[in-house]
Amino acid sequence: MTSADLRYPQQTLVADYLRATAGVVLCGAPLLLLDVNRWLAALLLAGFALFALFLVRTALRHRTRFVLGPDTLCADGPVGTLVEWNRLDRLKLSYFSTKRDRSDGWMQLSVGSTGGRLIKVDSALEGFHDIVERAAQAAEATGAPLSDVTRANLRSMGIVVVGQEETV
Amino acid sequence: MLQFIVRRVLLMIPTLFVISALVYFIIDLPPGDCVTSQIEELLARGDPDAHARAEELRELYGLNLPLWHRYLDWVAGIFRWDFGLSCQDTVPVADLIGERMMLTIVMETSTIAFIWIVSFIIGVYAATHQYKLGDYVASFIGFIGLSIPNFLLALVLLYVGKVYFGLSIGGLMDPEYIDKPLSWGKVVSVMEHLIIPVIVIGMSGTAGMIRRLRANLLDELQKQYVVTGRAKGLPPMKLLVKYPLRHAINPFVADIGGLLPDVISGSVIVSVVLSLPTTGPMLLSALKTQDVNLAATFLLFVAVLTVIGMLISDLALAALDPRIRFGSSEK
Repeated sequence: MTSADLRYPQQTLVADYLRATAGVVLCGAPLLLLDVNRWLAALLLAGFALFALFLVRTALRHRTRFVLGPDTLCADGPVGTLVEWNRLDRLKLSYFSTKRDRSDGWMQLSVGSTGGRLIKVDSALEGFHDIVERAAQAAEATGAPLSDVTRANLRSMGIVVVGQEETV
Repeated sequence: MLQFIVRRVLLMIPTLFVISALVYFIIDLPPGDCVTSQIEELLARGDPDAHARAEELRELYGLNLPLWHRYLDWVAGIFRWDFGLSCQDTVPVADLIGERMMLTIVMETSTIAFIWIVSFIIGVYAATHQYKLGDYVASFIGFIGLSIPNFLLALVLLYVGKVYFGLSIGGLMDPEYIDKPLSWGKVVSVMEHLIIPVIVIGMSGTAGMIRRLRANLLDELQKQYVVTGRAKGLPPMKLLVKYPLRHAINPFVADIGGLLPDVISGSVIVSVVLSLPTTGPMLLSALKTQDVNLAATFLLFVAVLTVIGMLISDLALAALDPRIRFGSSEK
């Protein structure tokens, strides 16, 4: 297996920048332009902090490339980290949707190896399926515990981890 | 999760904006305005300056300005906690709603806590004791709660309390604490008076929740993994809590968002019947007199609470069970 360089698509990043900017402006503008009541100001400040954090995270994603190799997954960027597949001890696959019927959502994968920081990637990332597949193989080999939510989400992607069947 | 929270919060902002606009415009739709009834009163008294006085009032309340202008003024004022003037007593809306809003929040929060706690305990008990006496009693209470309108239950309790126990259960505090500053005695008095309204308002919500939790849990308890676990000799409590209860509780959590608007709208008529000093009766009177600023402010608060309830429900569900469902499509 050769290494693959993976990045978030430009379209996804632009959409996230727009969301973050809209939130920062909507929460920040009243604070700057109006005489705001202190309780509302606290609420708006919390919203401003949330969207500012999202803006920083989007910028970090913009500057990060993920290298998927046979032995490691490397996040190469300002806050880089590395996951060694043969020492994988954490794998979590979650599904999020903002719609009531839970359609049109996105997956988020969190993986970590012993003593290392977590790498979190969304399904918008190019090659996301390959990363999940490799992580599942690694979990199978190391016996990393998987929650039933993660197993269900893996199954929905057509991935079954041997040795992780539901037991009572 | 951060992306989920950001997207969810970002959806809230335009939602609230649209709700506030709709509410403001719809309340203003009927012919006439809040001064109309006052003119009629002045004319009936034979006041020769009635029309001049009406014009003065219209100018004072800003009713001579176009609707969109009044709406934007009202929205800009919200950030300063200034919701404009109420036509009813020509006092700022913020002064009118202060204590009522606080009492409403206390009452609605207590009602929701009551619904969760009672329905969780009874729902789990009914499901684990299916077709036993306790289950029949819980089902009976559930059907009673679902079939009796809240206001009727309030009337019955008022009657029973007065005639059989000599108790006056109207109001939300003893008369000596009305319009008095906050004190420990006032808090205790409010807590004592909260019991009946909380039961009355929470009855139908509790009944619905009990039925849903019982049905969900029964579905889970009949699945093969539970049967296998039981056959392998797992302790009943562990077998209940580890998987079935966790799965059954998801729809329960998803209902939290819908519970808040139900409780708030249900409490309006009950508050009128029980003479509770909450926002309900004032909202009703504001709608009748077309007091747009006051009614729109109340309804905006209801919308904010509803949207926050939905957010809490979605966040709790996303944290508890971030699982794909059949029919959902992955990006």
